[in-house]
Amino acid sequence: MATLNLRGLQKVFDDFAVLDGVNLDVKDQELVAVLGASGSGKSTLLRLIAGFERPTAGTIELAGTEISSATKALVPEKRNIGIVPQDTALFPHLSVSQNIGFGLSGWSSKDKVARVTELLEIVELTDFADNRPEKLSGGQAQRVALARALAPRPALVLMDEPFSALDAELRTRLRLDVKAILKTEGATAILVTHDQEEALSLADRVAVLRNGKIIQVGSPTEIYNSPVDIGIATFLGDSVLIDGEVKNGKIITALGSLSPLNKVTDGQVGRVAIRGENFYLLPNLKGEGEVVGQIFFGHDAVVEVVTKGIKIRARSNGPFAPEVGMRVSVWVRGSVNFYPG
Amino acid sequence: MRKPPKVIVVIGVSATLLAVLPIAYLGLRLFEGFDRALAELLRFRTLELLGNTGLLVLAVSASALLVGFSQAWLTTRSTVKFASSFAVLAALPLAIPSYVMALGYISLFPTFSGFFASWLVLTLATSPYVFLGVTAALVRVDTATEEVARTLGFGRFQVLRRITWPQVRPAATASVLLVALYVLSEFGAIALLRYDTFTRAIYNAYRGSFDRTSAAALALVLLLITLLVIWFERRYRGIYLANTKALGKRVRVDLGSWSWAATAGLTLVAVFSVGIPMFSLLVWSVQGSANLDMPMLLDALWGSVRLAGLAGVIIGVFATAIALWAVRYRTRLGAWVETASWATHAIPAVVVGLALVFFGANVTPWIYQTTWMLMIAYLILFLPNALAAISTPIAQVSKDLEDVSQSLGVPANRTLFKVVLPIAFPGIIAGVALVALTVLKELPATLLLRPTETNTLATRLWGATEDLAYSQAAPYALLLVIIAGLPALALNAQARKALSEVRG
Repeated sequence: MATLNLRGLQKVFDDFAVLDGVNLDVKDQELVAVLGASGSGKSTLLRLIAGFERPTAGTIELAGTEISSATKALVPEKRNIGIVPQDTALFPHLSVSQNIGFGLSGWSSKDKVARVTELLEIVELTDFADNRPEKLSGGQAQRVALARALAPRPALVLMDEPFSALDAELRTRLRLDVKAILKTEGATAILVTHDQEEALSLADRVAVLRNGKIIQVGSPTEIYNSPVDIGIATFLGDSVLIDGEVKNGKIITALGSLSPLNKVTDGQVGRVAIRGENFYLLPNLKGEGEVVGQIFFGHDAVVEVVTKGIKIRARSNGPFAPEVGMRVSVWVRGSVNFYPG
Repeated sequence: MRKPPKVIVVIGVSATLLAVLPIAYLGLRLFEGFDRALAELLRFRTLELLGNTGLLVLAVSASALLVGFSQAWLTTRSTVKFASSFAVLAALPLAIPSYVMALGYISLFPTFSGFFASWLVLTLATSPYVFLGVTAALVRVDTATEEVARTLGFGRFQVLRRITWPQVRPAATASVLLVALYVLSEFGAIALLRYDTFTRAIYNAYRGSFDRTSAAALALVLLLITLLVIWFERRYRGIYLANTKALGKRVRVDLGSWSWAATAGLTLVAVFSVGIPMFSLLVWSVQGSANLDMPMLLDALWGSVRLAGLAGVIIGVFATAIALWAVRYRTRLGAWVETASWATHAIPAVVVGLALVFFGANVTPWIYQTTWMLMIAYLILFLPNALAAISTPIAQVSKDLEDVSQSLGVPANRTLFKVVLPIAFPGIIAGVALVALTVLKELPATLLLRPTETNTLATRLWGATEDLAYSQAAPYALLLVIIAGLPALALNAQARKALSEVRG
C-alpha cells in the first residue's frame, strides 16, 4: 500500500505555476529523494505536503485519506507528518531532550522519557540531552531536528535540504547516519535536494522535479543510467553532447560508431550524451586529440581534450591523467543514451 | 594595560562624583534626621501613595505589554494591510512627551482625571517601548520553529504560547520593566491628570511647605522602589537568548476574516495615542493664536534651545570621555566610572531635582539657582542615554586603525584625537543631538532648579496649565512636539531599526 499519493498537484503564486501537475507515490518505509535545481518548486512541494500551504489544484492522500485539496485542507497539527527544516529550526528556548520530546504531548511521562532516551541513543547525543541548541554543532543540530521529527512516529518525514549548510566531509558522514536512522525507525521519508550526489547515494527512489513537473521517477541507477531527456542527463553528471545519426542499430558520431542504451530506429538524427567516465584516453603521439586543460582532484582528474573539433571532458585516474599539451586517442567505453531531435 | 590620558580621567571621575554625591547627600541628611523622616513616612498617606503608585505601575505595564505586543505581532507577523504605516504610527507617540499627551486630553475633556485618565495616557505613551522591543525580538524568531511545532501537533494559539512567546519573553520583560520605570518617574502627565503618586506628592510637599523633610523622605522611598525595579531589570536583562542569527525569511499569518478587526484595533490605538491629542492641541493653538504672546514664546524657545544646547555639549564631552575610557582603555577604574554613570539611570527626575535642591542650598550655595545647577541635574539624568548613544560609534572604530597610526609614529594619545575621534565624530554628534532633544522635553528637574528668570517651553506650558489656560499652553506643546519629539524619534536608532525590519 502506498503511504503518500500526490495527484495532479498544482500551486500557483501570482499567476506563476510553481508546481504544475505533480504526481508521485511514496511507498511504506521508502525514502524518496525529490531532486531539482533551485526554483524548481521543491520547497513548495514540501510545504503543501506538510500543510503550510494549500494547493491550487490536485489532491494529497496519506494512507488512503485525502488530507489536502483546493477546497479542503487538514491543518498541519492533525496530519501526523514530521518535518526537518533546512536550518534545523530547533526551539532555542528548550534543551535537546525537550526539543525531541516536544511532539509527545499526549504521551504518559514514562513513555515520553523512554522514547526521548531511545532517540537520543539512536542519534548518539545522549551526552547532550540537557544542552541548549546554540551549543550544538551543525551536524548535531541536524540529528536533533531529525529525532524531534521522528519522535511521535509520524506517518511521513519531510526533509528540506537537510545537509546543505554542512561542510563536505560532515555531509557525507551524516547522510549515512540519517539513512541508518530512518531505516532503524522504519520511517517513510521524502528528502528534497538540489545535490544529485546526495539524491543518488541516499534514496531508494529519486524523483526529478523540473519547472514544477516531475520528469522522471526511478531507482538511482535507473535515473543515472537512463535519463529520459538531455536536460536530466546533463543535470545528473558532467555529460558531453555530440551529434549522431542511427544506422543499422548503431549511432554514427564524430567519435565513432557507438552502441545505444535506449531503443532507437534507423534514420533518426539526434544527440548522444557521453559522461566523463565513459571516455578513455590513450596517450598517443599521433593521436587526434590534444589535452587543453586539466582539473586535478587527487583521486581523479577531469581532462579537457579537443579532438576532431569537439571539446570533451573526460574523467581520468588522478595520478595517471594526461598532462596539458599531450596528444591522446579518445575512445568511448560502454553504451550511451541517444536523444532524437 | 594602556593608560588613558589625564584629561579623560579627570572628566570621567568628576562626572561620577557629580552624579553620585547629591543623591548620597540626600540619604545622609535623612539619616541625620532619621526620627523625623520616619515620623513623616509612618502615616496613612504613605501607604496610600504606595498603593496608588503600585496600582498605576502594574496596570500600565500590563496594558502597555498587551498593546505593544499586539502591534508588534500584527505588523511583523500577520498579513494586516498597511503594516509598515501602522508600525510608524505605533512608534509615533515617542515623539509626544507624556505631559503633552495629557494636556491634549485634558484640554479637550476638562474632567478627564484620576486613575483611569493616567492609566490611559501612560499606556499610550509607553506602549511604543514594548512595540520596539518586541518587534526587534519577533523578527529574529525563526518562523520555521513555529511550523515545526505545528507538524508536531500544536494549534496556532498553542504555538504562539509555547514557541513564539518564550522566544520574545526576555525582550518583552525588559521592555515592560522600562515601562515600569517610566511610570515610576513620570511627573508631568500624572500631575496634570491629578492622580496622587509619589512624584506628584513629592513635588507638592516641596512646593507647599518650608519643611522639606517630608518631600525628601518620600523621595527616598521612591528611590528605593526604583532601585528595586532596576535590580529586577538587571536580573532579567542577562538572560537574553543568544539569537544573533540574521533575519530569516518570515511567513506571515493570513488573518482571513479577522483582518478588519486587526486594522480597526491598530487604527483605534493610533487615534487615541496620536490623533486625539494632536487634534486637540491644533484646535487650541488655532483658537489661542489671536492672544498668543509672541515675545514670550520666543523667549521660552530661546531659553529651551540655550539650555538644551549647553547640556548637549557638556553631557557629550563627559560621555565621550567616559566611553573612550571604558571602551578603548578598559582599565578597572574606567569600568567603575562607567558602571557608576549607569547607576543613576532611571532615577526619577523629581528625586534628582530634590537632591540637588538640598545639595545646592546646603553645600554649594554659590551655584544654587544658577544654570550650572540645572546642568548637573541634566548630567545625572541623561548621561546614561548619552553613554549608550556615544559608546557604539567609538567601539566601532577598528583597533587596527589605531595600531597602524601608532606604527606610523603617532603617539597613542594623539592617535585618539587624530584617528578615533574624527571617525566616531558623526555618531557622537548624533548622540549629542539626541540628548539635547531629550533635555528640551524635560520638565520636573527644570521646574525645581531653574534660575527664576529662565523660562523654557516646558515651564511656560506648565505655568499655563496651572492657571487652566489650555489655549495658552497648546502652542508650546505643539512646538515641543515639532522641534523636540519628531527629530528625537527620527534620530532614535532602535526605532529606525525596528521600522525597517517590519517591512522585511
